[in-house]
Amino acid sequence: MKRNIILVLLVAGALCSVQPAQAHHAFAAQYDPTKPLTLNGVVTRVEWSNPHGWIYMDTKEPGGKVKHWMIETAAPSQLTRHGLKKADFTDGMSATVKGYQGKADPGLANGRTLILKGGRSFYIGSVGGPNDGAEPQ
Amino acid sequence: MLSIVPTFAWLEGLAWTTALRESPYGYPLIETSHVAFIVIFAGLVMMMDLRLVGLAFRHVPLAQIQQRLFRWQMGAFVPSMGTGILLFLVDPLRYYQNVFFIAKLLFLVLAGLNALVFHLKTYRKGETWDEDPHVIVTAWRAGAASLLLWSVTIVASRLIPNNWFK
Repeated sequence: MKRNIILVLLVAGALCSVQPAQAHHAFAAQYDPTKPLTLNGVVTRVEWSNPHGWIYMDTKEPGGKVKHWMIETAAPSQLTRHGLKKADFTDGMSATVKGYQGKADPGLANGRTLILKGGRSFYIGSVGGPNDGAEPQ
Repeated sequence: MLSIVPTFAWLEGLAWTTALRESPYGYPLIETSHVAFIVIFAGLVMMMDLRLVGLAFRHVPLAQIQQRLFRWQMGAFVPSMGTGILLFLVDPLRYYQNVFFIAKLLFLVLAGLNALVFHLKTYRKGETWDEDPHVIVTAWRAGAASLLLWSVTIVASRLIPNNWFK
């Protein structure tokens, strides 16, 4: 009986260790909700892909230096639902992304809102982000 | 390790892997069925394991549990592997360098070896303790190891999306 109690505790412990990972991966695991940012720059490449999309963007730093960004977006199904199309992107176009800074990597961000050149704006955030009003109700 | 990268890049660039990676419904469907089949498979395997460690069906002969569950276990295992391989082929460059993915494969192999050793060796001489609520200690260990290894495999899988060590 004693060894069974130990076994149950071990299995339960193993399964509980996954608790911090919620949704697909927790927003809080990789991004800092206290560090919102707005990026104005040039889209160099877009990955319209599952389980997340990526927008690669170059911005100009105050000193004139170019900074490369890798911005996570929601999956294609969610982007489509919010009216965005793969064809809305062309490499080299300018755009604005509002989102949050990544924790580990200074060039990583989580996108919430994408504003295209003509002013059209799209929600691109994934499930589990902060409740900041970016998501249309 | 490095020599496999061009192959993975080629795989990722194929028309059908690209289409699946970019698909609004195909990918989530495969991803969801992958998880659903694993739930069925792991649940059924664990029922056998719980009998081995003496926590469930203590008075049902092991052979009967084995006979009833095996088909269902395999019926869930094959599609879970199929969908898993598909998910890997769609994005090989992302997975091969992910520590949790490598850990998952490792535990998966260990869990498989544990099951093989049990069926080919330990359970070969099972007639003597088949109806006994307390199985022999090697069989108990196989059940305990299976419970732990499958749990850890699932936990490692669940952590794959977190690229903390990239």
